[in-house]
Amino acid sequence: MSQAYASVGWNRQKKLYDLVMLASVSVYLALFVGIGAIVHPNATVETLLIRGFGTGALLMLHVILSIGPLCRLAPRLLPLLYNRRHFGVAMFLMALAHGAFSLVQFHALGDLNPLVSVLVSNTRYDSLSNFPFQPLGLIALLILFLMAATSHDFWLANLTAPVWKRLHMLVYVAYGLIVAHVVLGVLQAETNRLLVMILGTGMVVVLGLHLIAGWRERKLDGTADLPISANGFVDVCGVEDIEANCAKVVTLTGERVAVFKYDGKVSALSNVCQHQNGPLGEGRIIDGCVTCPWHGYQYLPDSGASPPPFAEKVPTFNVKVVNGRVLIDPKPNAPGTRIEPAKI
Amino acid sequence: MVVAQWMVNLAMAYAALGVAFAIAFVFYGVGKIDPAAKDAPLTFRLLIFPGVAALWPLLLKRWLNGQTLPPAEQNAHRNSDKSVKEAKS
Repeated sequence: MSQAYASVGWNRQKKLYDLVMLASVSVYLALFVGIGAIVHPNATVETLLIRGFGTGALLMLHVILSIGPLCRLAPRLLPLLYNRRHFGVAMFLMALAHGAFSLVQFHALGDLNPLVSVLVSNTRYDSLSNFPFQPLGLIALLILFLMAATSHDFWLANLTAPVWKRLHMLVYVAYGLIVAHVVLGVLQAETNRLLVMILGTGMVVVLGLHLIAGWRERKLDGTADLPISANGFVDVCGVEDIEANCAKVVTLTGERVAVFKYDGKVSALSNVCQHQNGPLGEGRIIDGCVTCPWHGYQYLPDSGASPPPFAEKVPTFNVKVVNGRVLIDPKPNAPGTRIEPAKI
Repeated sequence: MVVAQWMVNLAMAYAALGVAFAIAFVFYGVGKIDPAAKDAPLTFRLLIFPGVAALWPLLLKRWLNGQTLPPAEQNAHRNSDKSVKEAKS
């Protein structure tokens, strides 16, 4: 949690995550280059590395894009999401290595600036089979750089989470550019249908997971028409509808609200974690605090404030329990405002 | 060809200005606009360096404006909280 910035907030899980990731990347590259050297004995090490880094980065991008919707569908996979930013930076470094080796191999030996050469060496934009696919990869690499370069919590605080998230949604633009880069590039010269099938399967998996997760999210947001009582409170659910130390999530005032039941009380706070806008209502009360399922940021349920010395705060809502029904005032209080919990 | 050369030259100039700004910012300016960065270690400063070099106009503006805190987050609940509404009225 933000107090003073550290370079990386290392803990055992992060170290293990990074170790497994780095070991997997190393094994993949070693196998790719080793098997490639046997299958294509005429290929140079540089060519094998270009392909190894490129396919590795593409594979990692598919995994990264699948983690979000997978965690929405199966919360037990949340540990994968915990350190996804390190995964993203590693993927960018793989893509950068692919780009750097390609730049040296194909564009560094002439008179032109290599970057200018990427842009002008092929200008057949009217041809599908000879389309200049390399500029597409360059633009995608620039987007991935911007994302990797702004992955530290400093950027979350200084861009604010909603802006940071919008910036990082550019990953989908990068993904589209990379797919076009591969389809218009290597696949035009490739006769092996297996590569086409692997890429097609990856795209179907990523798209399918996003559609399924999005459809389930839509059902959650369909709770906007809740009955409003005479004093302006909204009847959101029965007390028994909320599991102990968990939340019921409803949409009020244009955003989701997490209504928590704990220790015979009910409190309501904005569902949006201040850190990365994670879904607080999908978390639990742990050690007396609402705990975000994404990165473990914690908030006191009655005030929406992180326990000292941390400074994060989320808006709270006035709440009442009447005849076993939970009533919420839809007007949010300022972030960190303590509201007396409703007793059950 | 000429357009491509200009695009690369502009990008290089932007990046060079960004690197020059980032050297000053990560060692001096960052603590001015974000108190949580005041006593941050060298590794933190190196980690944010590429992003500072990329987004330097935004940070330069904030530094020149004398902003001493990160901006407040905006979302539907934060924008419509009672205290904000009362302050506006």
